Amino acid sequence: LNNSVTYTEEQLVASLKQKDEKAFGYLYDHYSGALYNIVVQIVNDAELSNDILQDVFVNIWRKIDSYDPTKGRLFTWMLNITRNASIDVLRSKNYRNSQKNNSISDELNERGGISQLNTDLIGLRKILSKLKEDQRVLLELAYFKGYTHEEISELEKIPLGTVKTRIRNALIQLREYLK
Amino acid sequence: VNIKEYISSGIVESYVLGLADKAEREEFEQMCAKHAEVKAAREAFEIMLEQQLLADAAQAPATLRHLRQSIFAEIAQQKPSFKRIDTEARPSSAQVKLLPVGGWIKYLAAASVALLIVSIALNIYLFSQYKNFSSKYASLLASQSRMADNNKAMQTRLEQYGNTIAMFKDTNMAVIKMEGSRVPGNASPAPSSLATVLWDTRSKDVFLMVNNLPPPAAEHQYQLWAIVDGKTVDAGVFDMHDGNMMVRMKNIPRAQAFAVTLEKKGGNPTPQGKMYVLGSI
Repeated sequence: LNNSVTYTEEQLVASLKQKDEKAFGYLYDHYSGALYNIVVQIVNDAELSNDILQDVFVNIWRKIDSYDPTKGRLFTWMLNITRNASIDVLRSKNYRNSQKNNSISDELNERGGISQLNTDLIGLRKILSKLKEDQRVLLELAYFKGYTHEEISELEKIPLGTVKTRIRNALIQLREYLK
Repeated sequence: VNIKEYISSGIVESYVLGLADKAEREEFEQMCAKHAEVKAAREAFEIMLEQQLLADAAQAPATLRHLRQSIFAEIAQQKPSFKRIDTEARPSSAQVKLLPVGGWIKYLAAASVALLIVSIALNIYLFSQYKNFSSKYASLLASQSRMADNNKAMQTRLEQYGNTIAMFKDTNMAVIKMEGSRVPGNASPAPSSLATVLWDTRSKDVFLMVNNLPPPAAEHQYQLWAIVDGKTVDAGVFDMHDGNMMVRMKNIPRAQAFAVTLEKKGGNPTPQGKMYVLGSI
């Protein structure tokens, strides 16, 4: 943000596609904080979050040509890359092994919302915390744990149709809180 | 589809947050392309989300400054880095794969897939050819073995004919014709019957050829007798299944005549049945 140059979204995308490092610097300065928060809210590990964020930005740089503006804004695209990369790590064998010792605090995080890194009061989690408990748990599992609707249905012993309806309702509610 | 209902169904949020499945994503993208309201609703939610998340980004740690340097160092390298965090396949498809695949690797992969397909096709073809030939080979083997058996049978039969002819040519062989009409008192049940005995005057071996005898019933068998000094001597029973070929009978050192009677199966020590043919030396 110390950079005096500002870009419109179109200019930024066009410059990135031309491999303009200055534009990439702007992108990093502007969005790395928000994306870092998503990573750390998913993997809950500061050092690991740095590694993931680095991969995410290197991939944004490499894959900018595959970004399709008709499908959504640049930030949405980067947000989904970030979430997918984080969830890939979260569900990897290495991560699960490293977290075995923390299973109790993990469980607390999932259910009660105590976080080692105290990231609950920012971003999406802050909004999630305003939802009713049953809706909050489902969105937590779907968005931050990356479970499919089928997996949630099994995990929470709720029929698949109910899972879908509740998640949709939770999302509609979430939109209201964002306004 | 009611557009307002569709927009307020939660699909917009589900799509933007990456929670929609493949079918929902494809449908939503089509709806965005067709209906400006859907696209506007998507953009409105995207901007709200973006602003909220950026507003909270101020709390990001200072370590991001150091990270900036290492990211720039990494993208400055010409070679693509293969640094990758261990991942497993996830059910929801990631939009970006962390591992880049170089152009020539793609061609190499395509070429090896093509080669594999050709190889599989060739294997299938060769295997079917092999099956085809192996069944043909088996039937050839069977027919070859049938022909070998036939050949053996023909050889045996040819040998018998040869022997028969040799006996007739042999000057030491006495030929005795036995006829139904010679049976005393015209008592033969089949007066037109005819059989021939070949008697080797050196070895005294006796061979019988049936020229014409009625086929016996199953419980009966014809029996050959030598008449020696007015007594009958058993020269053995014979079957008709060899047709008119020569049958070797018992060795008879001395005889004045030969006769054939019909006896019970296996024969009798002395003739009990009716005489069919008689012939004297």
